Amino acid sequence: MKRSRIPLYTTIAVLVFFYLPIFVLIIHSFNASRFSGSWEGFSLRWYIRLFTEREIWYALRNTLIVAFSTTVVSMVLGTIAAFALHRFNTRLQRVHYTLIYTPLVVPDILMGISLLLFFVAIGVQLGLFTIFLAHTSFCVSYVAMVVLARLQDFDFSVIEAAQDLGANWWTIAWRVLLPLLAPGIAAGGLLAFTLSIDDFVITFFVTGPGATTLPIQIYSMIKHGSPPLINALSTILLVVTFLIIWTVQHLTEDERTHENA
Amino acid sequence: MMNPRNKSFGEWLVTLPSFVWLFILFVIPTLIVFTIAFKPADPWGGIGEGWTLDTLISLGNPNYPAIIWRTIWLSLVTTVVCIALALPMGYYIARAPARWRRLLLLLTVIPFWTSFLIRIFAWKVLLHPDGYVKRALVFLRLSEEGTMLLYRSEAVLLVMVYTLLPFAILPIFAAAEKFDFRLVEAARDLGAGKLRAFRQVFIPGIQRGLLTAVLMVLIPALGMYIIPDLVGGPRSEMVGNKIAQRTFVDRNLPHASALSAGLTLAVMAPMLVVLMMQGRRREEHEVR
Amino acid sequence: MLRNLTVVLMFAGLLTGCGERRAVLHVYNWADYMKPSLIRQFEQEFNCRVVIDTFDSNEAMFARLRAGATGYDVIFPSSYMVQIMINHDMLQPLNHELIPNIQHLDPDYLSMAADKECTYAVPYMLSNAGLAYRADRVEHVEPTWAMLDREDLRGRMTMLDDMRETIGAALKYLGYSLNTRNVEELEEARDVVIRWKRNLAKFENEQYKNGIASGEFLLVHGYNGDIMQVMEEEENVVYFVPREGVSIALDEMVIPVGARQPELAHHFINFMHRPEVAAENTEYVYFLSPNVAAYELIDAELLEDPSINLEPEILALSEVIEDLGEDNRLYTRIWDEIKAAE
Repeated sequence: MKRSRIPLYTTIAVLVFFYLPIFVLIIHSFNASRFSGSWEGFSLRWYIRLFTEREIWYALRNTLIVAFSTTVVSMVLGTIAAFALHRFNTRLQRVHYTLIYTPLVVPDILMGISLLLFFVAIGVQLGLFTIFLAHTSFCVSYVAMVVLARLQDFDFSVIEAAQDLGANWWTIAWRVLLPLLAPGIAAGGLLAFTLSIDDFVITFFVTGPGATTLPIQIYSMIKHGSPPLINALSTILLVVTFLIIWTVQHLTEDERTHENA
Repeated sequence: MMNPRNKSFGEWLVTLPSFVWLFILFVIPTLIVFTIAFKPADPWGGIGEGWTLDTLISLGNPNYPAIIWRTIWLSLVTTVVCIALALPMGYYIARAPARWRRLLLLLTVIPFWTSFLIRIFAWKVLLHPDGYVKRALVFLRLSEEGTMLLYRSEAVLLVMVYTLLPFAILPIFAAAEKFDFRLVEAARDLGAGKLRAFRQVFIPGIQRGLLTAVLMVLIPALGMYIIPDLVGGPRSEMVGNKIAQRTFVDRNLPHASALSAGLTLAVMAPMLVVLMMQGRRREEHEVR
Repeated sequence: MLRNLTVVLMFAGLLTGCGERRAVLHVYNWADYMKPSLIRQFEQEFNCRVVIDTFDSNEAMFARLRAGATGYDVIFPSSYMVQIMINHDMLQPLNHELIPNIQHLDPDYLSMAADKECTYAVPYMLSNAGLAYRADRVEHVEPTWAMLDREDLRGRMTMLDDMRETIGAALKYLGYSLNTRNVEELEEARDVVIRWKRNLAKFENEQYKNGIASGEFLLVHGYNGDIMQVMEEEENVVYFVPREGVSIALDEMVIPVGARQPELAHHFINFMHRPEVAAENTEYVYFLSPNVAAYELIDAELLEDPSINLEPEILALSEVIEDLGEDNRLYTRIWDEIKAAE
């Protein structure tokens, strides 16, 4: 029986649609021209200029501070939450699940404005700390969901075996549960890290004096010029992202081979 | 096993950290938004004393319906286009051989992992009046020298589809992967046409994934702010832009809150439906 | 995995650790409004670090401050906004002993300031908002606001996303004061802006600079110095002051209540009015620093440029934007109606 070719053509068209702008951007980062209209020869000058732009390094530093703190805290909170959600089936957990799930679907702008109003109401100084609080609030949910998915394939008889052998709660968590869940937690952590690095809208709302992160810097670069610099910066970020995705893929792949074995 | 009291202590111990965090930094802020919507604004960016319904009433003023209407239709069209593209693509990926499937999936996910702002910026470069798309269109006689591709609602639509499409493909693929394609073959054997088999067997079969896809596109689209800001023009503002303008330019926090509260309610309704369905699925899972 | 994480965390700690010992001066300024090498010079002389955040309209800056952005040391509002900030007790009185260079201020321009005694604010630069076009792409240019009605430029023009500037442009076009409180005049201006809006690509405060340089936009409403910075790079861009008159803004330097480095902030303000610094800054940003001692050091041709030094007949028609107190609401309403119109 002949299958329709429409799905194939759509898939090809969509992939071209996905990658066309990204390729144009990468190619243009090597364009000597200051404006993206015409090609004026191959050049690395924008990459070189990028390294002398102090603001970018400063923004990168801020971004990394926020992203690392967010990742660590949301990994801890998210893993514990996933464990609670999985282990217990009570009314409390149903409320808990709703609480974890909702931030995943609320539009960024609503989270941004509500957190801004909250921080203003309690009089916290806006800055990197408020950005960290905001990022962690949405990253916890992502980590929890990723770890929860792993827990659902998890064989709890291992824990019962450990209990039978007289292990206490702490030993079980630290020695048995954590190593087995590590790939899931790591994948959740990487997700949190990328989300934190990429967030613009929420950060834009809760940022304060001097607390410029990379997306805020990129936004202001888009707004007042220097497109070739953005192209160069984007290319670097794309390469870094590919590396991260590759790592994640690698982590999950390892695990699959283990499972199959 | 642990005794019941111990168990409930343990449950609280592992529930509290995330619960308290999200209660303070998610529930309370949301409640504040709803509260401030009932406060009067003072003209200097403060929040006035007492309570009022004026802010809510002023949402009915003739300036708003146009923006609300535009937000709704742009979001709906985005959703329809995304689903229309994601259905055949999800179908194709699910039916592809395992190795291909993995690669195609990766190719779909990568743009979703790259910086959101940069992807929008890439379109600004592409749609520039002296850019490639424009030149190609002029060459093909599809566009005139003078027309502008950027800064109009169509540009907003295009970039929204671009950024939200992966959100539609993934759930549809996930559902299609579990779908038993022999059902389609069976329908074909019974004489159904290709399209009919697709529509009457495949689509009902992946209903849940389809619904998730609709929500994953529709909800962020309703709250979109940055895309109309960067590629939209003076006639393509959405509710998100209005919220930002009220907050960062007009310093009218009650107004911003009222708009946000309305938007929250607008996205809450479809969300609750999904939550209920997810809850049911979880229970089923647990029963098993 | 865990060990890698530790290494990464240490790296992050290293990043936070370095460079934080020096005092940090937080400056809140308009974009492209200060020569970067002067900031480096200040940092070296005073052994500190200057961190600059930018805003694109007075209203946006004010809203940010009201929404909890405390901790800036020096801010650059226009004089009408200085008045509003004084009214709200947001500013610190200045210690004139730390700013001896205010002796160089040009009395002609000081008279335009809201705070003529410099109790809270010291003038920084003088600007006006006119129009610029691409000489290679636009023909039959007349120096008037009516250029915004040109159908052949539809979709290739921008106006400032700034309610006072843009409504002000329409008021000037109609021959009214841009500080009018007359509702009929304002509604007439509203209808003009709505008519112009149909020809606009965007209301935009920053992208217009790059936009006109790259040929994306052909006619833009913008500030004189910003456009002249673009002209430096792209010779086809030309700025003109519409004959109906324009808005003149005197941007000032203030120290807000809650500044963490008030003394350094005073030094910064004083530094900006050293005659050689003020001159160098003006020659870079192309806005006029109202500093008499600096005039002698500035290239005479630049000083006489009619887009910096307005011609007398246009100057007579131009105005400084003033604070309108409660009547600001009128402008907000008109601006809303403009934004909502199809």
